[in-house]
Formats: sequence, structure tokens, C-alpha cells
Amino acid sequence: MTLDTVHLGLISVDESSTIDFPEGLPGFEDCRRFVPLRHPAEPALLFLQSLERADLCFLATPVTSVRRDYGLLVSPEDLDLLGLPEDSQPRIGREVAALAIVSLAEGEEPTANLLAPIVIRIDNRRAVQAIRPDQLYTCREELVAEELVCS
Amino acid sequence: MLVIRRHPGESIRIGMDIELEIIECGHNRVKLGIRAPQHVPVMRSEILETRAQNLEAAGAMPRLSAKVRSGDGCRPAPLVGDTR
Repeated sequence: MTLDTVHLGLISVDESSTIDFPEGLPGFEDCRRFVPLRHPAEPALLFLQSLERADLCFLATPVTSVRRDYGLLVSPEDLDLLGLPEDSQPRIGREVAALAIVSLAEGEEPTANLLAPIVIRIDNRRAVQAIRPDQLYTCREELVAEELVCS
Repeated sequence: MLVIRRHPGESIRIGMDIELEIIECGHNRVKLGIRAPQHVPVMRSEILETRAQNLEAAGAMPRLSAKVRSGDGCRPAPLVGDTR
């Protein structure tokens, strides 16, 4: 299918490359389908374009590119939403992918939300924004400057 | 802050419409049941913080360079493999 998006223009999307958030994201509960895209001009970033809202596109980056040693902690409720066993944590790059949403606030350094990573099950592409039950990371972790090139 | 001790199965009321019941008390977690009118939003506190962060992050795209915003060259991102 072809999407006419506000920020990326016309993009063609294969059904099999979308990810599904059964409960949406906090603040965007009605947005349940996104497509992760890459752009050669920003190789460190992923673009999460909403299929429901042409004007909604999040910037994201793998959590391990922000903190190399990032360890997931997904609550039993979120594991249940993903349909994963509650007695073990999923592994990044094996059962799941984990992305941090990036914020570019006016006049501030870019930050990544490591408190609530987007956890995507690799086999069925079901996703949840999994808020950590601990306080090991914040929702505004600074990115290293060379990881993100802004105009 | 008002502090009240309760046993599992007991509840408290906030106003006439909101009831908070202690369902189960584990080692370091408590299971609560909340009965509230439809118009009263009930959510975990940390969701509020993430909600605000998401709303801010949704405005990030226009701050990127026009090069990216043209969309030319966009391709689906694999979930494993080239994630750095």
C-alpha cells in the first residue's frame, strides 16, 4: 500500500513490515499500526510512521545504541500483552527488538526514552511501550552527539 | 498524605463514586481493584510521564533536515540485523 504522509511524503509500505500495538501508545491510544523505516540521510535513526495518522512519525533508535549494556525489564502485564512467558525476560535481538523514542525539544540536546522502550516481538511484530517497573533509566536520557545529526 | 492500613479484601472510598479495593498483597507488590465512573481516567502514574514524553517526541520530525523530510530513499527497517 502507499501512504501519503505529512513528514516523509509518499511512501510505499508492505503489510508484512508493519508492527502492531494492541493498546496503542500512551497519549496515542488509537494509533495501533506503525511501520519502522530507515532513511539514508539519518542512518542512526528509525522512523516510526503511523498508518492511522499521516502526521504522526516518531523518531527512535535501538536502546543498545544509546546504552550498549541496556538490559530489558518488562513487567508481567506487558509480557502478557506480547504473549511472552512471564517467568523470563525476553532477549534483545532474539525474541524482541527494543527501541527508544527520541525527543528533539527546542533548544535542548536530543534525548531518548529509556524508561519506556518500545518492545517488539520479532516473530509476530506485536509491540508494546513497556514502562520499566524500576527507575534504572529515565525518559530523558541524553544521546551522544555524534549519534544524531540534526540540521 | 493520608495513610491508611488495610487488609486484603478491604477497601476505601474516595468521594461517593470511587472505590479502591486491596485484592491481594504479595511480597513486594499490591494488587488493587479500582471502581470509578467512566469519566475519571485511571492510570499508573508512570504512564502520565511517558504520555507527556510521547506528546513531546511526536513533534520531533519537523526539526529534522529537509533532506529526510522528502522521504526519498525511505525503506523498511528490519527488526534485527542492521540495528546498531
